[in-house]
Amino acid sequence: MNDSVATRAAQATPPGVARRVKGLSDRAIAWIFVGPTIFLLLAINIFPLIWTIRLSFTNFRANRPNREVEWVGLRNYERILGDSDIWLSMQATAHFLIWTIVLQVLIGFTLAWLINKKFRGNDLWTTIIVLPMMLSPAVVGNFWTFLYQPQIGLFNYVITWFTGADPSSFEMLGSVNLAPWSIIIVDTWMWTPFVMLICLAGLRSIPDYIYEAAEIDRASKLRQFFTITLPMVLPFLMLAVLFRGIENFKMFDLVVQLTGGGPGSITELASINLKREAFEKWRTGYSSAFAIILFVTVFGLASIYVKALNKVKER
Amino acid sequence: MADVRLASVSKRFGTTAALTDLSLDIEDGDFVVMLGPTGAGKTTTLRSIAGLDTIDGGDITIGGHSVAGLTPAQRDVAMVFQQYSLYPHLTVRDNLAFPLKSPLMSLDKAAIKRKVAEVAEVLHISHKLDNKATALSGGEMQRVSIGRALVRDPAIYLMDEPLSSLDAKLRSELRVELKRVQADLGATLLYVTHDQIEAMTMATRVGVLDKGRLVQFGTPRDVYENPASLYVATRLGLPRINALPANVFGAGAPSGATTIGLRPEHIRQGEGRSTRVTRVEHLGDQTRLHLDLDGHALVTLTDAHSALSPGDTLSVTPANPLWFDSAGARVG
Ligand SMILES: Nc1ncnc2c1ncn2[C@@H]1O[C@H](COP(=O)(O)OP(=O)(O)O)[C@@H](O)[C@H]1O
Ligand SMILES: [Mg+2]
Repeated sequence: MNDSVATRAAQATPPGVARRVKGLSDRAIAWIFVGPTIFLLLAINIFPLIWTIRLSFTNFRANRPNREVEWVGLRNYERILGDSDIWLSMQATAHFLIWTIVLQVLIGFTLAWLINKKFRGNDLWTTIIVLPMMLSPAVVGNFWTFLYQPQIGLFNYVITWFTGADPSSFEMLGSVNLAPWSIIIVDTWMWTPFVMLICLAGLRSIPDYIYEAAEIDRASKLRQFFTITLPMVLPFLMLAVLFRGIENFKMFDLVVQLTGGGPGSITELASINLKREAFEKWRTGYSSAFAIILFVTVFGLASIYVKALNKVKER
Repeated sequence: MADVRLASVSKRFGTTAALTDLSLDIEDGDFVVMLGPTGAGKTTTLRSIAGLDTIDGGDITIGGHSVAGLTPAQRDVAMVFQQYSLYPHLTVRDNLAFPLKSPLMSLDKAAIKRKVAEVAEVLHISHKLDNKATALSGGEMQRVSIGRALVRDPAIYLMDEPLSSLDAKLRSELRVELKRVQADLGATLLYVTHDQIEAMTMATRVGVLDKGRLVQFGTPRDVYENPASLYVATRLGLPRINALPANVFGAGAPSGATTIGLRPEHIRQGEGRSTRVTRVEHLGDQTRLHLDLDGHALVTLTDAHSALSPGDTLSVTPANPLWFDSAGARVG
């Protein structure tokens, strides 16, 4: 009699209750899954950010941890905005950013457009073109330092071959006029394939039948390009520009390898300047303020840009 | 508008013969409907005329001139694609205006606007003009795609199953509308479909395709009443023609005939062989009777208020039957 009541009760227990009885609700399980991620995010992203903001209002120096730390209010920010070195480094970054994006978009799109034509061996070409992107920036930097050698470098030799100038008459990395372009060339060499791949994805997403319809509608190839190809690839292209823009705003590795910021400070980009302030001059508070300014700049620009991108996508 | 001729056109895809020795004359002002099941080569025929596919043999002329080697633009054809093929990033308005903006049309803004509004009106999509082409239902996309052809005045309109994705009401409405537009414009139109009602109601001439071959070409009435083969006879007429062994109604079959083809209206009731009623479908205006004759299924029509019910017996006899030989060819 007792037995049968117990079995009936067990059978009548809904599955949801059975699970809760074992100890964990759905909500608890969800927290167990996201908990570690949230913890890591707080520990290595959010906390350092808040700490940096705090430091930016002080005169803290990391190489003298025992010195008394003073609150300086907005003084760091005021000094940065009046610091001509900082403005020069921002200009260098802007120059680098604009030219790398212009060149990479133009060349990347053209390459994608050519590769997208159906010809034999285009897969092989894609692989070859994409190779530079796969290399480590350290390797690329070293490699190009070698290519830029005035006496034995291949780059100078090739330029000579085209222009007839003496190969040792110019130094890509050593001259004030050429050094900014030397880093633009290397970054373009390395990252144009990335832009190309994204453009290629865009081009491949346009189905053939749209071009067939345009042929029937008697649109010229030029009109097809401007009314179909370009508008349909534009969201992809803008995404590539966003990625490259954010990456190049914080460009560090290639420039350190190639010019180290020189000659003088002509290729000293904002990120390199920042590293100098923080870990060579040890002005931790000051460089924290600079880092915050850079962060707000990138964040602001990227937000405006993403808004524009979404508009283009909706069109 | 112009007449279009296909002379022994053939087209292969690898080992599949999509079109074999296809000859077809489309007169200026004709509304030709090509009828055939999936894979018969309907789309390939249209794409070959448009110049989207190059043919392997034969010749195509438009307005008396061979179009071999000409681009689709040079052929001046308008086409409605089976899979809509709208420009997804443009609005309905811009989709409709796209062909009108060709420099070859040299139209001003006002003329384009007028034409777009006019066609949108005919196709009942005026209220969707500012929608993006992707923000439409399948039926609306199909209508925009028809509209994009109708805004033009080409040598020939090519339409690939344009009504297949519409609901029944809209389909019958647009059938009438298309026919009217074609007649008003005096347009030449080649329309392919697997829907026999479209063929019967709109066509001035019907072509029946079978595995890439044109097996019959004539007026709808002629093709219906004098089908060249059992295949053609089964493509037209609803309910479908009944095909039975030639001797089920006794002697009288012409020599060589192995099959008797009986359209539902070619079965006289009240005399002859007795059959058992298996099913009665009251459709409102008519009633379909499913009969069993010695194990052969048979469908015929009777009046709307028929009192027959399953299990009843009914005597039937053929009237004006069609006879076919073992290969399906007509023998009488
Ligand atoms: N691009 C293609 N590649 C290979 N075979 C094709 C291609 N297009 C059509 N075919 C073949 O040609 C035949 C006719 O096709 P199609 O003209 O599309 O028929 P329908 O439009 O009547 O359904 C089919 O057997 C089909 O498989
Ligand atoms: Mg088809």
